[in-house]
Amino acid sequence: MLRPSKGKKWFKPVFDLDDNLPAKKIALDSPKVKSQDDEKNLQFASNTNILNNVRDSNWMKNFDPVNVEDLAVNNKKVLELEEWMKNSCLKLTNDILLLSGPVGCGKTATIQTLASKYNIKVTEWITPLDIEYPSEYGDYEFKEPQTKKFLEFIINSANFTSLLDNNSCKLVLVEDFPNIFLRTPAEFTEVLTFNAVTLTGLKGALKRASTIMNNKFSSTYNNPTTEIIDSVVNSSGGDVRSAILNLHFACLKGSTCNLETSIIKEKESKSKTSTRRKKNVSNKFMTLGKDQTVSILHGVGRVLNPKETVTEHGHKTLTHNPKDIIEQFLSHPSSFINFLHENYLPHYSCAYDVDEAATALSDADCMLAEWREQICQEYGLYTAVSGLMLANKSPVPAWNPVRGPKTMKVIYP
Amino acid sequence: MSLWVDKHRPKDLMKLDYHKDQAVRLKSLVQQSDFPHLLVYGPSGAGKKTRIMCLLRELYGSGSERLRQETMHFTTPSNKKIEIMTVSSNYHIEVNPTDVGIHDRVVIMDLVKNVAQTHQIDSAGQREFKVVILNEVDDLTKDAQHALRRTMEKYVSTCRLILIANSISRVIPAIRSRCLTIRVPAPTETEIASVLHAVCKKEGLSLPPELAMRIAKSADRNLRRALLMCEACKVQHYPFTSDQKVPEPDWQIFIRETAAMILSEQSPKKLAEVRQKLYELIIHGVPPDVIFAGLLKELVCNCDMSMKCKIASYAAQYEHRMRLGNKPIFHIEAFVAKFMAIYKKFLEEALGDVF
Repeated sequence: MLRPSKGKKWFKPVFDLDDNLPAKKIALDSPKVKSQDDEKNLQFASNTNILNNVRDSNWMKNFDPVNVEDLAVNNKKVLELEEWMKNSCLKLTNDILLLSGPVGCGKTATIQTLASKYNIKVTEWITPLDIEYPSEYGDYEFKEPQTKKFLEFIINSANFTSLLDNNSCKLVLVEDFPNIFLRTPAEFTEVLTFNAVTLTGLKGALKRASTIMNNKFSSTYNNPTTEIIDSVVNSSGGDVRSAILNLHFACLKGSTCNLETSIIKEKESKSKTSTRRKKNVSNKFMTLGKDQTVSILHGVGRVLNPKETVTEHGHKTLTHNPKDIIEQFLSHPSSFINFLHENYLPHYSCAYDVDEAATALSDADCMLAEWREQICQEYGLYTAVSGLMLANKSPVPAWNPVRGPKTMKVIYP
Repeated sequence: MSLWVDKHRPKDLMKLDYHKDQAVRLKSLVQQSDFPHLLVYGPSGAGKKTRIMCLLRELYGSGSERLRQETMHFTTPSNKKIEIMTVSSNYHIEVNPTDVGIHDRVVIMDLVKNVAQTHQIDSAGQREFKVVILNEVDDLTKDAQHALRRTMEKYVSTCRLILIANSISRVIPAIRSRCLTIRVPAPTETEIASVLHAVCKKEGLSLPPELAMRIAKSADRNLRRALLMCEACKVQHYPFTSDQKVPEPDWQIFIRETAAMILSEQSPKKLAEVRQKLYELIIHGVPPDVIFAGLLKELVCNCDMSMKCKIASYAAQYEHRMRLGNKPIFHIEAFVAKFMAIYKKFLEEALGDVF
C-alpha cells in the first residue's frame, strides 16, 4: 500500500520517528554475507580486494535497478504504476494502492525505482513480531498490540517528515499488510496485480547484472556465460530476487578457480529439460533454484485436466507425467485422493470414462487401507492419479472450483 | 414410556415366542455347571440379544438386569487415548469393540484381562465366572480376532465370552471352533404376526389380522422392525383398519429414489447428484452394505437376465473392496458408475436395433 502524505502543511518534527524501521531487512541479509565472508576467508585469505567488495552490507543492492528501463517488470505495468504515482503523489491527493503479485516479481523494486525517479521519499513498514521472549515466570508478554503500533506509524509517517529530507512528497510503503486490517480487501479502491517475471524480462535483468559484475566486481565474479544465465533463468521460475541470488552463487570466482572438478560435476548433473517450442536444449540447475513443489490444489488441477502432447513418432504422452506429479507434493496420499474424488466428476463428460475413473479410485482406496506395507500407499496414489488421468478421454474444458473433501462422520441424534 | 420393542421383550427363556426347542436346550445348558463360550449369530431383529439376556437371567437371577452405563478408557500402544461405552451389571459386561475402529484389539485384550483377573468375591452361591458380551464380532479386524482367540484360551476359568454376529463367514475359523455356535434364524411371517397380536393384546389394542400380516410382510422378517412399524401405525391411525398404510422406513424410500435417479440418466452430472444422496445416507448412519443391497435390489428390476448377473457380480466385487478399504463412498460410487456404464451401453444397443 502506498500513501502520500499531507506533509507539506505540517512542521517538521523534532526527531525522526521512522529511521529504525528498515533495519530488519538488513538484519535478514547479513548472515548470508557473513557466511560468504567466511568461505572467502578460508580460500583467499590473501586476496583482500574481494573481501572489500563483498563486505558491502547489502550486496544485493549492487544489482538493484537504477533506471526504470532496468526493471524486469512488464512495461505496461510500470507505466500504470507510474501513472498512478503521478496522479496521487504529485497532485497531492491521498490515495491508497494495493500491489499484489508472486514473490520476487519486482513489486518493491518498481516502487523504489519510480520513487527515486520522481524524488519521492519512501517510508517502509514491516510488520513486527507479536510475541516477546518469555519472562522469568515463563509466561509470554505481549507488547503493544500490532494495530496500535500500525496506526501510530501511519499517523506519524503521514503527518511528519524527516528533518533530513527536503522534498515534499512522500510514500508510505507497507510490506506484509497487518492482517488484522485485511478483513475486507475489497475496500482497496485501486488494485494492481503483477505477474511473475517473463523469461525475456529475467534474461534482460540478468544480462544487466552480468555487465555490472564485469565492470565493477570482476575480481569477485567470473564473467557469466550465456549458458549459465539460461540455466539460472530456467531454475528461478519468474523470481528476480532468487535469480540474482543464483547468479551470484553460480559465478563466484572461488569455485571455478580452485574447485574445477566440482563445477564440472555440477554441470553434468544439470537436468536437461527440452523446451519444444524453441527447439534447443536449455539447462536447469539441480542444486540451485526453487524446488518445483506443487501445491495440492495445483496437483488436483493437473490430474483432472490432463494435457497431452504428441511426440515425433505420433504417440500421445501426458505433458505432466503422473509419476512427476506424485513426486512433487508432500501431503499424505489419502488426503490427495480425497481431494481428487471430491472434484473429479465435473471434469468428465462420458459415463464410460467415469466408470473407469471410479474403479481406479476404488482400487486406490483398497491399497491405501493396507497400512502394513509402506509401498502400498505409493502404489495406491499412483493408481488413482494415472487412472484418473488416462480415463478422461474427453475432458470438460470449463473451469471448476476445487472443493475440499467431506468428512463422512455419522451424525448421531 | 419406552418403545414396545423394549417394553415387551421376554425376560425368561421359557416365555420366548418362537424357537422354543432351542430355548429349552439353552436352559438345560445353563443348568449344568459348566458353560462354554458362545457365538450367537443370525440376521438382525431375530432375537439374539433377547435370548442372551434371558440366558444371563437364568444364570445369575434378576441381578443381571440392573444395568449401568460406563465409559472405559484405554491407551493404545501408540499412546493414543481411546474411550468406549460399556453396559454392565455385577455379573456381565457388554461392549461393542468396533466403535473404536482399528483399535478394537486393544479394547478386547484389556477389557477381557480386566474382567477375568477379578474373581467373584462370594463364589458360594454364585457362578465362578463373569460373562463378557462382544457385539458385532464379524466386523472386528483380523488382528482383534486373533487377539480374541488367545485371550479366550487364557482366561477360560474366570470368564466366559458371548459373541454376537450377523454372519459367521467373517469370523475366523479358530474362534468358530472354540465357541458353541448358536444360530438364531429370523422369525417367519406368521410368527411375527402372532407376536404382534400378543403385544397388541398386552397394550389393550385390537389388531386386525390382515394388517398384522401386511406389517409382517413388509418388515422383511425383522421382528424389531415389525414392532416399530406396528407402533408407528398406531401413532398414525388408531383404531387400526385393515387397509391402513404401513409406513416404510425413510431410508428405504430414499434408496429407491436414488436408484430411480440412476436409472433416469447416465451421466457424470447425475452421478454427482447421486453422490450427494449417498453422502446423506451415510451421514445418517445407514450402513454401507445396506445401501449396496438396497441399490442392487432396486437397480436389477430394470435389467434382463444376463445383465442382472453381471451387475450382481460387480456389486459383490465392489462390496468386497469396500470391506478392504477405508472409505465406503468410493466403492458405492464406483459401483454406481459401473452400473451407469453397463446400462447406458445396453440402452444404446437397444436403440441401435430400433433404427
